[in-house]
Amino acid sequence: MTATVTPGAVTAVDGPPGRGRLPGPRLRGGPLLSWVTLGLAGLVTVVALLAPWLAPHDPVQSAGELYAPVGSGGHLLGTDGIGRDLLSRTLLGLRTSWLMALAIVALGLLAGGVIGLVAGAFGGWVDAVLMRITDLFLALPGTLVAIAVAAALGSGLGNTFLAISVVWWPFYARIVRGEVRALAARPHVEAARMAGVGRTRLIVRHLLPGVVPSAVITASLDVGSVVLVLASLSFLGLGQSAPAPELGADTSRALPELLAHWWIPAIPGLAVMALSLVANLAGDAVRDLLARDGR
Amino acid sequence: MLHTMDDTTTADPPVTPVASLRGLRVSMARNGVRSTVIKGVDLDIRRGEILGLVGESGSGKSVLSLALLGLLPRASAPVVSGTLTVSGVDMAAGPEEERRLARGRDLGVVFQDPMTSLNPTMRIGDQVAEAAGSGAEAVRLMRAVGVPQPERRMRAYPHELSGGLRQRVMIAMAIAGGPKLVVADEPTTALDVTVQAQVLRVLRGLTDDLGCSVLMITHDLGVAGQITDRVAVMYAGRIAEVGPTAQVLERPRHPYTLGLLASRLGLTTERGAPLRTLADDAAPDAAPAEGDTGCAYRTRCPLAMPRCADELPPLGEAATAAPTAFPHRSACLLADEARQRLLGDAPAAEAAPEPVTEDVKGERAERAQPIVSTTELRCDFTVRDRRGRKATLAALRGVTLDVAAGESIALVGESGSGKSTLLRVIAGLETSFTGAVERPGRRLTQMVFQDAGASLTPWLTVRELLTERLTGLRLDRRARRGRAAEALRSVGLPEEALDARPAELSGGQRQRVALARATIVPPAVLLCDEPTSALDVSLAASVLNLINTLRRDLGMTVIFVTHDLSVARIVGDRIAVMYLGRLVETGAADEVIADPKHPYTRALISAVPGLGVTLPDIVGEPPSPIDPPGGCAYHPRCAVAREECATTLTGIQLVPIGPRPPRGSGEQRRGVACVHRGELR
Repeated sequence: MTATVTPGAVTAVDGPPGRGRLPGPRLRGGPLLSWVTLGLAGLVTVVALLAPWLAPHDPVQSAGELYAPVGSGGHLLGTDGIGRDLLSRTLLGLRTSWLMALAIVALGLLAGGVIGLVAGAFGGWVDAVLMRITDLFLALPGTLVAIAVAAALGSGLGNTFLAISVVWWPFYARIVRGEVRALAARPHVEAARMAGVGRTRLIVRHLLPGVVPSAVITASLDVGSVVLVLASLSFLGLGQSAPAPELGADTSRALPELLAHWWIPAIPGLAVMALSLVANLAGDAVRDLLARDGR
Repeated sequence: MLHTMDDTTTADPPVTPVASLRGLRVSMARNGVRSTVIKGVDLDIRRGEILGLVGESGSGKSVLSLALLGLLPRASAPVVSGTLTVSGVDMAAGPEEERRLARGRDLGVVFQDPMTSLNPTMRIGDQVAEAAGSGAEAVRLMRAVGVPQPERRMRAYPHELSGGLRQRVMIAMAIAGGPKLVVADEPTTALDVTVQAQVLRVLRGLTDDLGCSVLMITHDLGVAGQITDRVAVMYAGRIAEVGPTAQVLERPRHPYTLGLLASRLGLTTERGAPLRTLADDAAPDAAPAEGDTGCAYRTRCPLAMPRCADELPPLGEAATAAPTAFPHRSACLLADEARQRLLGDAPAAEAAPEPVTEDVKGERAERAQPIVSTTELRCDFTVRDRRGRKATLAALRGVTLDVAAGESIALVGESGSGKSTLLRVIAGLETSFTGAVERPGRRLTQMVFQDAGASLTPWLTVRELLTERLTGLRLDRRARRGRAAEALRSVGLPEEALDARPAELSGGQRQRVALARATIVPPAVLLCDEPTSALDVSLAASVLNLINTLRRDLGMTVIFVTHDLSVARIVGDRIAVMYLGRLVETGAADEVIADPKHPYTRALISAVPGLGVTLPDIVGEPPSPIDPPGGCAYHPRCAVAREECATTLTGIQLVPIGPRPPRGSGEQRRGVACVHRGELR
């Protein structure tokens, strides 16, 4: 028997349970609520993708009785003043809003993320130039740019998309750049440099993964805002041109009928609200799940 | 200063203790898992005594102190059973209002980091007065704990004070209103050694002058040995041993206490042999599972018997002990036999290990050539001073140092000495300096950081962290994996650790991974920035052993930064002492410790806490490197300063002293930067 201690430098550490445990199978799956919310967002996406096949009627053609109320036969959500099926219009409007919002956020995240990453990782004049350009775009008021684009290029879905995309990415550039700067000051980056890690690998493997969670969290919380911005631009007549369905535009056009036939403006309006709610809840869920995973 | 209670106290009528714990159990939930942190503790804190509570991280000592204060975090849903009374108030289950009043009236608390416990937006005076009741009382308290010019300091904000002063202010607040018990949780751990000695003095004075009791929580048996009357050693939520300090430290009866004492570094620890460590580096929270009925220490205990798994040893006195008011109890089935059996075996264990330093010394001949060399290194930083103005912080003020190939040198100094800056300049991480640095290329210079956890990229696996250093070596995947596994083996980790992420490893394991990363491609120079200062004693000892072994196996030069002279002595062939950006003394480790030639080195050595070491009388704190004193920077604190020291130009030069080492031996002469040239009385 040896004395108090194990002589020699090296004590093999086997895996007793506790803090020093070496990994076994990693436990996945977290708070049920977060996954349910994310599932809801996934469902909305599937519905949006399949909307043309799910819609029972052609959304722009009259499909029967005018002003059919909610729940009437053959028209679950009723029809509008020229007999168009509101369920079909809502489904296709939802498709436009949701997919466009996702695309705008994804594009902004990609562009802003790359610019922020490069600015933050390189610093110096690269940082200065990129961030001043970002500031310039950040200073543009979104709605006004959209109006200007619409005025210059004509109103239409594509132009609205362009207008919002132009003003949306700078937020991500700022967030990512700030996160990268903060991460770069942490010891593990210095240790990686000391270990002789090349610049590209340093950025891609030692910086980027640390930034992704906060950028994705911000972005997913933003989907709801983009849905609202899109709807409000369409509401102002700057988005989808008639007669194609769009939730904001439909709400706006039917507003005069609110008192006589409440469901015609209310249904697309409520759909916008529901979409933005789902987007925000999903954003929260993403945040909870990523934060739980830890850095 | 060991305050041993003499036997006359037994004659006194038994007084009611200030705090009394009976069968205390605390369980708390973490990440949804409930675990029992305190597993039945009986303890009394008597009037006017300092009780030291010693244990490794995870032993439950901090939870115990929070329970005592009635401040267990509600978020972790604590469940307390047993009784816990502080001067008659039930701190476990009493009404919240009553507990709050008791905290204000009978309890004071000093935490490790005063910066986080003081309100940064309030003037010091207002904060102390809030606790003391009036400004005049605040001044009196601050004077009592040794804050110089308390009237002036009243107007300062916490960030304008040094760490030592902040801790004194915390103590002043803790003793406001004359509490019966002050709970001090690692109050000196964040302080420099010379300041630590002063703060310990203040704490000792509290009981001597004010008669209040102190519960002193510490991981350092040396600190406990210096000021406590009694010590309780905690392991995995239970008291392993308790008794008068002198008895516990000089005649420990529990194998755990014996192990802790053996792995503790002191200025007399043998240098050649590997340091002793506790078996199994896993932290104590790796102890047996919930509901286990045996002794928690048995998994690491060299004396463990089958009985230990079934029977929970009670805290008992030695059979031969005379009845006393201050019994020495230990929770081990073997009772006094444990000590005899362990110490009886000790010589055999000492003979076995191969010498570490001797081997390296054999290669002295090829060592003459310096591998790292700095010449008149200066490094200034522009910072904001305490008032927010731009100021120059002189981190290095002319450092000339040669490190021979194969040598290991320990850079020692307190905060602000520039030791870390020097290391960073050598590492190439700090580029704004003047003077010259010569060192091998980047691939051949590697570094181990203080906080291993922070220095390992959290989302990468150990495999990635190791193999990314192999790029450019043209190895295929299998060869890389093999190299990584081999590197892990060399630091004592199993191959399975390859797939772990840093967060899944314990502190000691992380530091081992950091070492494996630095040595997977053997470097010529290994730079170490306090790699053991955040680790428990036994873990620190095993990491130091590892560094010494790797150094011998790979023939590395080691430059090791530390604030701890006992660590410096173990890792360094040579010690270089720094003070405010300058070298003040260099020399062979043994000689510097045995016969320090600079007054500052003397002070440092006297401040190293040890068993039976009296608290030294050291004045002042290291001044700020912004606007340091002229001449020899140490002169305002120096006991042997002369008038010329304030302006001397020669006294700051490192001059060779003592006999010249034989030619070709590769050894360097001692150097000291002092007007006395080492001729101290």
